[in-house]
Amino acid sequence: MVKRFRIVTACLLLAMAAPFAHAKEVTLLNVSYDPTRELYEEYNAAFAKYWKSKTGDDVTIKQSHGGSGKQARTVIDGLPADVITLALAGDIDAVATNGKLLPVNWQSRLPHNSSPYTSTIVFLVRKGNPKNIRDWGDLVKPGISIITPNPKTSGGARWNYLAAWAWALQQPGGSEATAKEYVRRLFKNVPVLDTGARGATTTFVQRGIGDVLLAWENEAFLSIKELGADKVQIVVPSLSILAEPPVAVVDKVVLRRGTREVATAYLNHLYSPEAQEIIAKNFYRPIDEQVTARHAGQFPKIKLVTIADFGGWAKAQKTHFADGGVFDQIYAPAE
Amino acid sequence: MRIAAAISATLLLAAGAARADDVSELRERLEAQEQKIRVLERKLELQDEATKAAVPNTPVVRASPQQGFRIQSADGANVVRLRGVLQFDGRYFPDDVTPETADTWILRRVRPILEGTLNGIYDFRFTPDFAGGRAIVQDAYIAARLKPWAVVTAGKFKVPVGLERLQSATDLRFIERALPTSLVPNRDLGLQFGGDIAGGLVNYSVGYFNGVSDGGSSDGNAPTPDAENDTKGDWAARVFLQPFLNSDNFALRGLGFGVAGTFVDSTGSATTTLLPSYRTPGQQTFFSYRATTAASGTTPAVNGTFADGERLRWTPQAYYSIGSFSALGEYVNVSQDVTRATPTAGLRSATLDHNAWQLQLAWFATGEDESFRGFTPGSVFSLENHTWGALELVARYHELDIDDDTFVGGTDSFANPDSAASKASAWGVGVNWYLSQNYRWSENYDVTSFAGGAPGGADRPDEKAVFTRFALQF
Repeated sequence: MVKRFRIVTACLLLAMAAPFAHAKEVTLLNVSYDPTRELYEEYNAAFAKYWKSKTGDDVTIKQSHGGSGKQARTVIDGLPADVITLALAGDIDAVATNGKLLPVNWQSRLPHNSSPYTSTIVFLVRKGNPKNIRDWGDLVKPGISIITPNPKTSGGARWNYLAAWAWALQQPGGSEATAKEYVRRLFKNVPVLDTGARGATTTFVQRGIGDVLLAWENEAFLSIKELGADKVQIVVPSLSILAEPPVAVVDKVVLRRGTREVATAYLNHLYSPEAQEIIAKNFYRPIDEQVTARHAGQFPKIKLVTIADFGGWAKAQKTHFADGGVFDQIYAPAE
Repeated sequence: MRIAAAISATLLLAAGAARADDVSELRERLEAQEQKIRVLERKLELQDEATKAAVPNTPVVRASPQQGFRIQSADGANVVRLRGVLQFDGRYFPDDVTPETADTWILRRVRPILEGTLNGIYDFRFTPDFAGGRAIVQDAYIAARLKPWAVVTAGKFKVPVGLERLQSATDLRFIERALPTSLVPNRDLGLQFGGDIAGGLVNYSVGYFNGVSDGGSSDGNAPTPDAENDTKGDWAARVFLQPFLNSDNFALRGLGFGVAGTFVDSTGSATTTLLPSYRTPGQQTFFSYRATTAASGTTPAVNGTFADGERLRWTPQAYYSIGSFSALGEYVNVSQDVTRATPTAGLRSATLDHNAWQLQLAWFATGEDESFRGFTPGSVFSLENHTWGALELVARYHELDIDDDTFVGGTDSFANPDSAASKASAWGVGVNWYLSQNYRWSENYDVTSFAGGAPGGADRPDEKAVFTRFALQF
């Protein structure tokens, strides 16, 4: 009698627990910058598998891609991003300060200033480099057509611009005035401005426009992989900039949607060895030392300046890219 | 010979080199032109992408006869509409009793309407009215549509009681509402919970309001307009059924019926009586309770009748439409406790039951479908196209019967039978010509007969009213 009672009780308890044992289904929205499509396609699949094995829950990550600045404005305007993985810290700062969607100290919440990978800016030219482009100075020669996205919308374009500015400053007699004149001449050679880095790659690679593409390093490698080494080649300039694309959880959204735990895990997992391998495989520079060592030969050595050399993103944004800034002063659309 | 050959060879080489230079230059120019074309094509492509990307965020601006002028967010969740109602009436009384001063043109309704929805579920409406040389707030409310059956409305709006009162002023079939509407509240300030159940087969409302007298609006409250004028608020409730709304039975689909009512227990005073007057279809007062007047010369002071206790209103109501024909009917009963400090009988109190009813018929001679709310004319008036709009013929009969106890007691009565009629019976006919969805001309003829209301117990002479209306709405 007692045994039967215990069996029945156990069955009842199991039946009551059954609904709670059912796997949860969660979706996340990752709002990212333009060229990270392939990276996150592969990473999302890996994270979903990892999360399922860890918690038993199913997670689906939806992606949104576009120019980094444009994406930041879209999130501020209400796009419910659980995480943002943008091209530069200044864009996430805008989401924090203007959108008030995450705290202003967001960058200290994850390792390496919330940048699980880095990249830099290189030149992508036609195979054989018919216009003999070797360094930044060659870009302003007459007859050279440069493809770069719009710094007002694209994070990659802002890295391009700052790299060019840094090179001009370091030339003999370099000053703010000569650097400004240099970037004015550079953008005079730009026939069309895409809104994002991927669009600029399309313009150069698929549409066959321009002699040189100022590209994210990962975009340049991806273009060679997809188009073929017989069509385009990379030219490494004498100086470039360390681009540190950061990532962050959007606190107000995850609080409303109840997704903080999985969103935080999603970003934390980017620092795992598995994710760092995916990062390197997609031509981003990993930050894990062991993975970096394994892929050392993949990435060229370049002299790099950093955003700190410009006084940080807040200063750089205000000086160069805000309305009325240096870019607005020097750029006039080609007629 | 050799020299000539050498010279020829040199000339040929030079010519060849020149041609090669020309070809090379042409090739370069061609490549430059191709680049320009590609650049232009890419710019167009980027423009298209930008336009497509902007469409989901681009607000919509629309103007339509049905919904006025509208600005709406791309996702439709937020919309603001600007509408309006302008009604210009002419009144003429071809009878011997109505003063000639009542023959007049008037602006009956001058209402800009600002309404809309925010976040997909919060509706609002603000309607001022500037007719009659004054500015009042007709409607000012917010409604949260939490669920179809759970709509919370707060502000100033129509109390959910009278059927013809609930019909919009732009959908009325007669220029002025019938006698039963004189017994039900118009607009009041309050909080209401209601909604549709079973896909609209049942509509219900329950609300608590400041309270207004029969036929009144809270902007007419004394001493303070749009404020509580007594110690208690009115409870109001209504349920209306359209059981065949989604039925295959076409004949019964347009049938709706229900019941509504209000209740309050409150006390007025000789100066703030909380009691109404009633008006004819021609808008002339035919019944009032005795009012408080001060002594004047040899005329002693008179203490007026005031509300003292319960007021219960209830009204069964129904509407039916089929094709071009419709019928509207309602019965209203008001049971009102009153008191008066009489000259000879001391303090008198009584419960007075007044009731009214109407039957209204409408028919579109031009074949359009009748409905309680809105309609679409089959054509608009156009001399060029020989189209004439929609023509509607209307008829009604209605009565308002005052409780006989109101007049009992001579000078101690609650109303003076020499000036207040005990019954008004009216019939009316009319025609509505809808020149378009938005513009209408109407003509009504109403004849109202009375029992009592004249000195010596005589019957007040019939009122004959010819009303004309030019109405614009959007």
